Amino acid sequence: MKHLTLTAALLMGTTLTVPAFAEGHLPIAEETLELTVHMHHKRYTSYDESWPVEQAARKMTNIHLKDVTVGSNTDNSEEAMNLLLATGKMPDIVGTSRIKDVVFQYGPEGAFLPLNDLIDEHAPNIKAFFDERPEVKAALQASDGNLYYIPYLPDGKYGRAYFIRYDWLETLGLELPETVEEVKAVLEAFRDNDPNGNGKKDEIPYFARQWEELIRLVTLWDGRSSGSDTYHDFFVDDGQIKHPYAQEGYREGMKNLAQWYAEGLVDAEVFTRGSSAREYLLSEDLGGMTHDWFASTAGYNTALADKVEGFSFKAFAPPASISGKRIAEHRRIPIKPDGWAIGYSNDHPVETIKYFDFWFTEEGRNLVNFGVEGEQWTMVDGKPTFTEEFLTNGRPVNSQLYEIGAQLHARGYYQDYAYEEQWSNAFALEGIALYDEGDYLIDQFLGVAMNADEQKIYDKYWSSILTYMKERQQAWILGTGDIETDWDDYVATLDKMGYSQVIKAMQSAYARQYGN
Amino acid sequence: MTDISDRKQSVVFQPSRTQRVIEALKRDWQLYLMLAPTIIWLLLFLYKPMYGLQIAFKDYSVFRGIAGSPWVGFEHFQTLFDNDQFLRALKNTIVISFWSLLVGFPVPILLALMFNEILNQTFKKTAQTIVYLPHFISSVIIAGIVIASFSPSSGVVNTFLGWFGADPVYFLTKPEWFRPIFIGTNIWQEAGFSSIVYLAAIAGVSPTLYESAVIDGASRWQMMWKITIPSIMTTIIIMLIIRIGNMLEVSFEMIILLYQPATYETADVVNTFIYRQGLQGGQYDLAAAAGLFNAVVAFVLVMSANAISKRYSRTSLW
Repeated sequence: MKHLTLTAALLMGTTLTVPAFAEGHLPIAEETLELTVHMHHKRYTSYDESWPVEQAARKMTNIHLKDVTVGSNTDNSEEAMNLLLATGKMPDIVGTSRIKDVVFQYGPEGAFLPLNDLIDEHAPNIKAFFDERPEVKAALQASDGNLYYIPYLPDGKYGRAYFIRYDWLETLGLELPETVEEVKAVLEAFRDNDPNGNGKKDEIPYFARQWEELIRLVTLWDGRSSGSDTYHDFFVDDGQIKHPYAQEGYREGMKNLAQWYAEGLVDAEVFTRGSSAREYLLSEDLGGMTHDWFASTAGYNTALADKVEGFSFKAFAPPASISGKRIAEHRRIPIKPDGWAIGYSNDHPVETIKYFDFWFTEEGRNLVNFGVEGEQWTMVDGKPTFTEEFLTNGRPVNSQLYEIGAQLHARGYYQDYAYEEQWSNAFALEGIALYDEGDYLIDQFLGVAMNADEQKIYDKYWSSILTYMKERQQAWILGTGDIETDWDDYVATLDKMGYSQVIKAMQSAYARQYGN
Repeated sequence: MTDISDRKQSVVFQPSRTQRVIEALKRDWQLYLMLAPTIIWLLLFLYKPMYGLQIAFKDYSVFRGIAGSPWVGFEHFQTLFDNDQFLRALKNTIVISFWSLLVGFPVPILLALMFNEILNQTFKKTAQTIVYLPHFISSVIIAGIVIASFSPSSGVVNTFLGWFGADPVYFLTKPEWFRPIFIGTNIWQEAGFSSIVYLAAIAGVSPTLYESAVIDGASRWQMMWKITIPSIMTTIIIMLIIRIGNMLEVSFEMIILLYQPATYETADVVNTFIYRQGLQGGQYDLAAAAGLFNAVVAFVLVMSANAISKRYSRTSLW
């Protein structure tokens, strides 16, 4: 299948000036070629040449990456990046988390090589990937229309889901809530009917580790809370860029959530409880429902099995909104802002892009996803499968992979969800299957590349507008303001603060990038 | 005064002055050697970076570098002063600093006076250690303690209020409570440690003064008012001038840990504004402009405080 699409893509491709890079056209260089690399991520603050994955890649490609990372003593990648830029010298390859902002700003200024022609001529696998997903390629374009980096592309669709105490529902004789009204009824029952059976009214019906996950519930009133996996992000509605916090659905949702909060259906301390909320409220048998990541939340079913009797905290399908729509607003974003790029002074751009392409071939993709064949995995029925020993040695699989240089997110590659599936919690897989059945995912806003003028408008107004939006948001929930009486004034203030100018700037960038 | 006579001499007796400098260097070279690291540190980390201040007047790009970025004049300052949130942050900074100064400044002095009156040495040492301790705890942990203490469901404060039948208050989301909590936290954290300098000053007061006061039949209260406080007045004033110079430097890491959009109204200070707008948004030039503005105001404050003090109390930093 993969070969078919690849061949098809190659056949469709423009008049090929260079012989196609057939798989197995390795090594890339006849003689060993050394390329310098800056690679920084908070999990590994430099490129370790002794990583087994690097050693295997050296054997296959004959290209040796040499570590010249600047700022290895900090775990802040942006700081390291700024240090690198300030030196004025660019290594051959620059890989870092959040490279997107860097290449979007400094690519057009000449710090990185544009990759468009290089990909077309020398990277058939990357090209095939983009041809299949034009929206991904569009999202990667800088404001001058060029591509400057190859991103880390996560696989697997699902991120956060609705979780509820199935055992509490059973204790109280309730069904899984299917609509927003039923959710409210269930939360009220959690509050009043003592599902944890300790005789005290101490249950917290809805809680969240991030208070933004409370705002997420506006989707139940057809509002939006964010357009991407970043909180407070813009979204695209029928080709128009909009911000969720200026829409009617949001108004309706916030009105109801404020009421929920006042009635005690929502954790009273949702704004300050912070990241330990889930751990604490679940292990104390207090929390009833949340919206959080599949894998880690499902993990509590095993972790707390002994501590809380009958504990069953599982995913349920997104309840229908007031208009009957079921959406899972949050999902894994298909493109991360992490990845790698080619520095402007690289003398071997062709070899470098071929090297980037190597990670999109089958061998390269297996290497970066699963580790070294014969060490961490073997081929079983044509699928890379982790060895029993690797899976059961008691250490988290992902950290073991990071240690050998696999799954490095500062490297541009396409993740393979199969790697994660093999060690996912059964409860998580069950939930994912449930979400798969319903097709609840919606399109993500993949960001726009603004040119200097648009960026100026955005920088000037946006931060203040968002601050104001968040202030009002919390005031409404906490009851220090009333959304119904404030709304018109709120919208007028947004406009006065430059909201429409920001939207206009983003819209023009969006039209240029995605061709609307 | 000496300055002018020095210059005259240097013009007239040039060689002898150089000679004298060499002479002095030779004689006290150990002292100069000990001074050198501080001077080098000062030049390297406080004077050299001033070169970068110019980005406040430039459209700065890290890649183009400081010299390569184009000038934009006062554009960033204009952006700042057009922004209501910056003005609000400025107001909050001044209000928070003012109250911190008014309430927080006397506390270490009182502490020092109180320690001085304790006769039992063991109790004195223990009490001192206890009040110093919070200074050495990281802000993150202090913020955690504050958040837990003021929690509406399980916090000490609300439990206490509950005994008197009051409803729990979600203090950290109430704008009107932010400043008292923040200032109180700061005092709790720093007062003990700041009292050290006053204790040292008190220790320097000549015991003969107290001895003669005792012979004259002065009470302890009188000795404190008539001897201790006047003797440490110079220290108090110098500390006050330093404090005024740092007035705009509200400890913003604590604010970031404690504030919420709900309390921005009273909690957002210039430094947190810079952090959100400038550093999170990558607008270094704007952040530099705000920082430069801060520094200029601080400079004016310190100069005025010094001048006032010089005129009225004959004590000054320089």
